[in-house]
Amino acid sequence: MQNAKDTFYIALRSRLASVNPARTMTLRAVARPGILVSEAEAPAAQPQLDAFALSWTGMQADLQLAAILAQMTCEIQYSTVGTQANAGLDRGRALEEMDYEVLHLLYPYSAQKMNYTVNPATAMETMVFWSEPEFGPVVTLRDRLSRTAKVTVFAFQEQGEQ
Amino acid sequence: MADLSTQNPCGLAQRIATALLRAGGGTTASLQMPPLQGDSTDAGQIGLNAPGFLSLPLAPVVFRKARVSMQDGELPKYELLVSAAAVTTQVTELQLSSAQALFARASGVAVAGKLFLIEAISASENQGQAYLYRLLLQEASGEWPM
Repeated sequence: MQNAKDTFYIALRSRLASVNPARTMTLRAVARPGILVSEAEAPAAQPQLDAFALSWTGMQADLQLAAILAQMTCEIQYSTVGTQANAGLDRGRALEEMDYEVLHLLYPYSAQKMNYTVNPATAMETMVFWSEPEFGPVVTLRDRLSRTAKVTVFAFQEQGEQ
Repeated sequence: MADLSTQNPCGLAQRIATALLRAGGGTTASLQMPPLQGDSTDAGQIGLNAPGFLSLPLAPVVFRKARVSMQDGELPKYELLVSAAAVTTQVTELQLSSAQALFARASGVAVAGKLFLIEAISASENQGQAYLYRLLLQEASGEWPM
């Protein structure tokens, strides 16, 4: 299941680099596309603005099939306060831009499952696939607008996979 | 209307704050900072590679339990009072733009061998210059020694 989570993140990160190359952030002294896995970064009191944070929440397994089908919920959280040039009055537009990017990041709704624990990463035998996003309501905290989009990610557990 | 009276900051407040922290049982805290050369590999972004955090010492600091009401199951909160002079030294050494940039990079603070997470930061100023930083900390759940 970890391979599916890693594949999902790397797929979205690669797509973000082409959908909006300008959406970058510097995290742990590395400039990279503005997307991160919350559980793989240091805990922060405030969310990273203008970036997508993936959190893995729900988990179910279908044991009735020939191979175990894992079904995991990924919450994509993003926040913005707009831009300094517009004194934050464009925060609604900035959030809409991120909504649009989420739609583009997720399509197509599948990717080849990869094993990133080896170097170089190797392709596995099955695909990781996911649902369309389910957008939550906008949450306003002072001048910060946030939204969470939920995606259900499916992956078969392959032979010998941990 | 702008205040046009002459003010010559001489660092008095900073020196008093440093002396008071030292006299009040000052100790050393270590900010957990990312390495100067970050890990840009895939493995570094999915939790496979060790982050290689560096310990950046700050002294003198005073560490004390914060006066906040505790909820059932909630970890206690602490305050770390940090000398602005110590912060300025590290900001200059790392060639950062501000103290906020320094604290924003830190993934936590180690005090007396325990790791704490930074919840909030505030600064006390005199004549437009910070002389004391107050960090609100929460104990990390991990019990590994730092």
